[in-house]
Amino acid sequence: MKDNFRQSMKWFHTWVGLIVGWILFFMFITGTLGYFYQEITRWMEPERPFIEHSISNEQLIDIAQNYLTKNAQGIDEWDIYLPTVRDQNLRVGWRHAPEAGKKRGRYQRAVLDINTGAKIDSRATGGGRLLYRMHYRLHYLSSKISYWIVGFCSMLMLLAVITGVVIHKKIFTDFFTFRAKKGLPGWLDIHNVLSVIALPFHFMITYSGLLFFLFTYMALSTNLQTNENEYSEMRKEIFPRSAHLESANQPSAMLDISSLYQQVKMSWKNDDLSTIEVFAAHDINAQVLFIRHETDITYNPKDQVMVSAITGDVIPQASKEYTAAGMIHNGFFSLHEGQFAGPVARWIYFFTGLIGTAMIASGLILWTTKRKPQQMKKANGPDFGYRLVEQLNIGTIVGLPIAIAAYFYANRLLPIDMIDRVNWEANIMFISWALLLIYPALRPANKAWSEQLQLAALVYMALPLVNLLTTDKHLINSLVQQDWGFAGFDLTFLAVGACFAFAAYKYKTLHVDKKVRKPTIKQEVIKESGQGSKQGETFGNEGLLNAPQVSKGNS
Amino acid sequence: MTYLFNQFNLSSPSWAVFSRSLAAIFGGYVLATSSSLFIGQLLLNSVGKYQAIHIGLLLSFIVYACAAMWVFSVSSASKAWGGLIKLNVFLFVATWLLMQLNGVAS
Repeated sequence: MKDNFRQSMKWFHTWVGLIVGWILFFMFITGTLGYFYQEITRWMEPERPFIEHSISNEQLIDIAQNYLTKNAQGIDEWDIYLPTVRDQNLRVGWRHAPEAGKKRGRYQRAVLDINTGAKIDSRATGGGRLLYRMHYRLHYLSSKISYWIVGFCSMLMLLAVITGVVIHKKIFTDFFTFRAKKGLPGWLDIHNVLSVIALPFHFMITYSGLLFFLFTYMALSTNLQTNENEYSEMRKEIFPRSAHLESANQPSAMLDISSLYQQVKMSWKNDDLSTIEVFAAHDINAQVLFIRHETDITYNPKDQVMVSAITGDVIPQASKEYTAAGMIHNGFFSLHEGQFAGPVARWIYFFTGLIGTAMIASGLILWTTKRKPQQMKKANGPDFGYRLVEQLNIGTIVGLPIAIAAYFYANRLLPIDMIDRVNWEANIMFISWALLLIYPALRPANKAWSEQLQLAALVYMALPLVNLLTTDKHLINSLVQQDWGFAGFDLTFLAVGACFAFAAYKYKTLHVDKKVRKPTIKQEVIKESGQGSKQGETFGNEGLLNAPQVSKGNS
Repeated sequence: MTYLFNQFNLSSPSWAVFSRSLAAIFGGYVLATSSSLFIGQLLLNSVGKYQAIHIGLLLSFIVYACAAMWVFSVSSASKAWGGLIKLNVFLFVATWLLMQLNGVAS
């Protein structure tokens, strides 16, 4: 492509990063929020109570079993989710028999009040689950199309990561020579630091993301090598699952699940129960699977114990031995999802996710700052392509976070009994994003940056206020009750708002600074034919976005 | 015909980039597949059929990435296409030979 390998790869890096950069930004930000999806769901269902965790697991299991016996009659599969620090509530779920022509039946959930044993009604919301599902399932599109779009973008991300390492001559020494002292760090420096600081994470998250749909993307290869039976056997070898019996249609009384739990607790030597799955409930084949909180990155087989609900005997499971490749595969899944992570590791995941998001954003901004001096010299103003990238940058890098805030606003402000409420929460998010993508087309770039940054600061700072006005779970109450999930949420909003406010302030001062120093560079640009803007736009210097980039490129 | 060719301007840089992109996307995908078939046969006897296939699949994304980078590093689009075709043919033939060695039934 270019004179030498490194030059070619530099060109390649620029373009693979650019063409899907905005979708990657969307995937990274929604995926990062996914690390806190339970906490987000809880914030979005404020009717659920905050409970002091003083009731024993056995009592909780009894409450759940009572509820399910009454309300899920004739259902084979039950699940019981014990309260956790993250989720706070006792939840149950059951799967209806599949309707004609469908593989799986409808799954129904309920949150239970541990004092009365009754269901707690909360507002209809997509919660954190819908938000994090967007990072691989997108929205509005069919799953098949989404998976291929996501796969294409992930592949380009993988290429961007690998080429990024290739073109970076002195990747580790560079990390220690962050040029903060020579005035402003340029966008290239910022991009480099964000990339290097979490490089293993960037690679892991991208590669493992691809592995999630390995058998979809590489279907051609598996079809050539296996028939249907062999394929499902291979899947079983790679993802060993505990087998369970189906219902024999012979009703039988079940033992109390809490009494079965006693012996499981003994064998675990702790009380760290997370989930219970019941198969063939109230049948002669009834079994109960006790699942402990994950103790290992690659699933520990001892974390699951299967017990017969009729005899109370432990049912030995075929040993779930992983092949070496299966271990790698499942290990990557685990690392991607971070289910094993405790509070500290979860925050680290969250921040590394944000670093990845910021890396993509800085790369996109870098593309414009590098081309800006040249583009500004053009007689007809900047090219259409340049303007488009700039607008997409403003509309996505600042616009999308505002749109996500709009999702939270919709949760608090839409009427509780609204029809199709869940969909409208997401619709409002995407409508907001669309508006914020259009807005920069109507404003000069520097104005649009500045105004959207201010808007972002405002909406995030105001979210705790709206929470205060619409629920009793506001910051003061949650701090007094030591409800850290809720308090953490409101405090994070304030922190995010403060960051945007700082960015807006910094942007403004730098912009003003530049104007005072070099007023002559400011030039009137004649309206480009075929472009929407009415008046001749003024392209001034753009502060930070025009940081002395070109002169100090190191690649 | 000549007119059409001139219209498409096959020697223009943007056409070359387009051609390379196609080579990277489709040629790369075929290479990822053929390499996974090859590895599936190569490791068949040492780690078992399913794990051999699985390892081939796990590596296919890396092969895909390397192929795409290679396509954009060589001096011309036709060189990229030529190289990909040659490598694919080689891998398919090698896979076929290994299949004969391993016995087609397995």
